[in-house]
Amino acid sequence: MMELIRKPHQAYLEDFEVGRVFEHHWGRTINASDNSIFSAVTLSYNPLYFNADAARAEGHPDIVVNPNFLLCLVIGLSVEDLSEGGGGFLGIDEATFHAPVYAGDTIVARSTVVKVRGSDSRPGSGVVTWRTEGLRRGECVIDFLRTNFARRKA
Amino acid sequence: MPLTSSDNYFEDFAVGQTFEHVRGKTLTEMDQVLISHLVMNSAQAHFNEVHATKSGTWTGRIAFGGVTISMILGLASQDTIENAVAVTGLDKVRLMKSVYHGDTFMAFSEVLSVADGPRPDCGEVVFKHWGVNQNDDIVMSAERRVLIKRRPGQ
Repeated sequence: MMELIRKPHQAYLEDFEVGRVFEHHWGRTINASDNSIFSAVTLSYNPLYFNADAARAEGHPDIVVNPNFLLCLVIGLSVEDLSEGGGGFLGIDEATFHAPVYAGDTIVARSTVVKVRGSDSRPGSGVVTWRTEGLRRGECVIDFLRTNFARRKA
Repeated sequence: MPLTSSDNYFEDFAVGQTFEHVRGKTLTEMDQVLISHLVMNSAQAHFNEVHATKSGTWTGRIAFGGVTISMILGLASQDTIENAVAVTGLDKVRLMKSVYHGDTFMAFSEVLSVADGPRPDCGEVVFKHWGVNQNDDIVMSAERRVLIKRRPGQ
């Protein structure tokens, strides 16, 4: 019988030691269509996100990428390393959008474990807080604290 | 014809004003699965029905919290940030309830603070936004810090 290889793609509570840094995989270049689709389906009605003339009139070179897309993307890139184990997503604190982002920009993500504690309500889990940064050619364009439940190894 | 409303410039916001945004949105599979994939969120509970339901914790694919945050902030955007020049931060974002395809969000906002901005033509407003589902359960709350244009010609 052939042995099947099953590569795990998730982390557990025990993987999170305060101070540990994760350089997340892939990175992603944002396309104009990403922002268009995202801003349209989320009803993000500010012309900066879908009217290039209005964005240029405000001094931007092009349409501004919806900051909520940037937030979701930077979380998305961090999921395999941080939260794919299936704990619940509890919240975000201190998110700062440091600079406008445009189509064509490439974003990579990095996280640092800042806090780990046990959970009284879920003994099989703990609660972890990470500081996650989104970087464009080394410049931090967004950073935030994300808090999730994280499962213990069975 | 102006591109944006004339009643949501910086001068129009005062601490304590509370809005019930009149448009709601039923979260569809199209929105939730599309956005989860666009932002590279690799957690399959957002897009694999069998995986999501096998443990009995969830009754279907569970919405990525980033989608819930973005959709509720989006529903609030025309009345609050249509004339914003920048969203500079999010804080105290809390996800209180599991969200599934078919849930319907309504959004509310309260003005927490108004202050001069870093440039003379805009001011800073902090809103609290929150969203409820079809059972009036609060699913998400957040504070959003924005720079909003002062009314032109004043």
